[in-house]
Amino acid sequence: MSSVDMPSPAEGTDESEHLRWMREAMNMAEEALAASEVPVGCVFVRDGTIIAKARNRTNELRNATRHAELEAIDEILANKTLTPSIIPYALSDTTLYVTVEPCIMCASALRQMGIKEVFYGCENDRFGGCGSVLGVNSILPHPKHPAYKATGGYLREEAIMILRRFYITENVNAPAPKSKANRVLKTEIPSRPSSRR
Amino acid sequence: GNETNILEEQMRSFKGGNPDDVISEDDLPFTRIRLTSDDEEDEIHAVRTEHAWVVDIPDARQTTVMLRWLKQSGLETPSMAHLKRIRRQGDKMTILLAYTRDCLDLPTLPPDVDLPQPYVIAVPCSAALTLMSLAHKNTYWPTVYAPRRKNETEEWSRGKVMWAYEAMIRVMKAAQQAQQMGELPTATYVPIPYDEGTRIATQLTEPIFAHDTRQSQAHPLRHAILNVVRTIADLRASPKNTENSAVSATTSSETQAVAAPSSLPIPIENDADANDVSPRNGAHYLLTSLTLFVTHEPCVMCSMALLHSRVKEIFYLVPMNSTGGCGGVACVPKLHGVNHRFGIGRWKDGERIAREYGIGLDSAMDV
Repeated sequence: MSSVDMPSPAEGTDESEHLRWMREAMNMAEEALAASEVPVGCVFVRDGTIIAKARNRTNELRNATRHAELEAIDEILANKTLTPSIIPYALSDTTLYVTVEPCIMCASALRQMGIKEVFYGCENDRFGGCGSVLGVNSILPHPKHPAYKATGGYLREEAIMILRRFYITENVNAPAPKSKANRVLKTEIPSRPSSRR
Repeated sequence: GNETNILEEQMRSFKGGNPDDVISEDDLPFTRIRLTSDDEEDEIHAVRTEHAWVVDIPDARQTTVMLRWLKQSGLETPSMAHLKRIRRQGDKMTILLAYTRDCLDLPTLPPDVDLPQPYVIAVPCSAALTLMSLAHKNTYWPTVYAPRRKNETEEWSRGKVMWAYEAMIRVMKAAQQAQQMGELPTATYVPIPYDEGTRIATQLTEPIFAHDTRQSQAHPLRHAILNVVRTIADLRASPKNTENSAVSATTSSETQAVAAPSSLPIPIENDADANDVSPRNGAHYLLTSLTLFVTHEPCVMCSMALLHSRVKEIFYLVPMNSTGGCGGVACVPKLHGVNHRFGIGRWKDGERIAREYGIGLDSAMDV
């Protein structure tokens, strides 16, 4: 089984629900964009309810590790109703919807937390930890933590477009800001390379 | 409180003598993990490439104008230094503009120069280390030939080795203390940089410790590395620091509590008009130019956190072969695609030293 399967028609009954959650994640990405952060957003869903939503806060916190997923995990663990006791895998009945494929750091964090399953928007060619750069979710062996399934392609075009909208504006917070005055917003989106199936 | 301490004994053997003496690679207390291999390069299919925008120059007289424009365009980055700017194929000339990763969209060219549309090609990721590799790489794009000199890796002086021993002894003691407090015996330490230039550039005037707090905080991700990254980020973001005063860190491992992110002030980052002594934008708040010591090889999550934070190099004592991300189950800075590399040194005799300090761990553990 590929770790980055596209949604298949057999799973069609759930598709509208996945898209509904991904829409909520996209709203968080919009919030990040409005706050001049790299626009990535996520929601964690348990028993048909959103238990946490978060977005990137790396610029605000001057901390390159404060990705949306880690922000939300902290929220869930700090909440005694959501995490009443210390158990090994606190997210084993929780699904993540995130607009961009989790990076290698977050993919490992999610495996250590025992996440049930991940759905994402677009792939992440520079840092992707669910198959694009490293398959931390399942291919990479781990002596203890179970693998999890990660499926991309939900609101993929929107996830790419919102990233482009961010990169076309000046990122004054980036370590070495570059002038982007010459850039124009490109709207055509290439399909996924077949080699990644 | 140990009478026959291996680390302290080894450190003593470096005492005396000129601190500026260069220590030979074999005598260093660590082994460097190679991130690239020269020989691998000799196979054409091993040439690593990435995509870049280029534009054909129909008229040679446009070259000077274009080169001048490029200098001011903001498109050039230091990571392109290994690539020649112009490619000549017979009469055809092509100019390299930018990596697509730095410039996602079609670059806009100067309006007063009549040029065709830029297009994307694959170019080599790094300079050629061998002549064979140069020939291969030139088939993609003219590349700089930079054979490795004998001592290309950074030289270590006697004084710097002593500095590293001191750091490793401190991090081991911090791990023991953590264990006494009921935590996992893993700790990390970012010392004040050894050389003065780096000390000034990083503005790190106090060393920073952190240890694992996943037991006390009931949080499986409170690893020593994530804790130290957060501590440094908080220091960099403190209002005191944005006024260019020295970093005044709390250095005791006991006070290394992880602040709630929501309680942090929103930092005011100075832009171009920041005072002259401040380092380049960004060096303020990440781990740029800093060296980190850690008791155990960091897990995949922490290895990537260090990459995101742009650490210069790390040294670890105990290898974690089935969970580590710095040579164990993966080597994160070696991966194709990532945008930063950091150096990795594995301490010699690490397992024996760890036993002596009593900081053994289950090999299935993520550190």
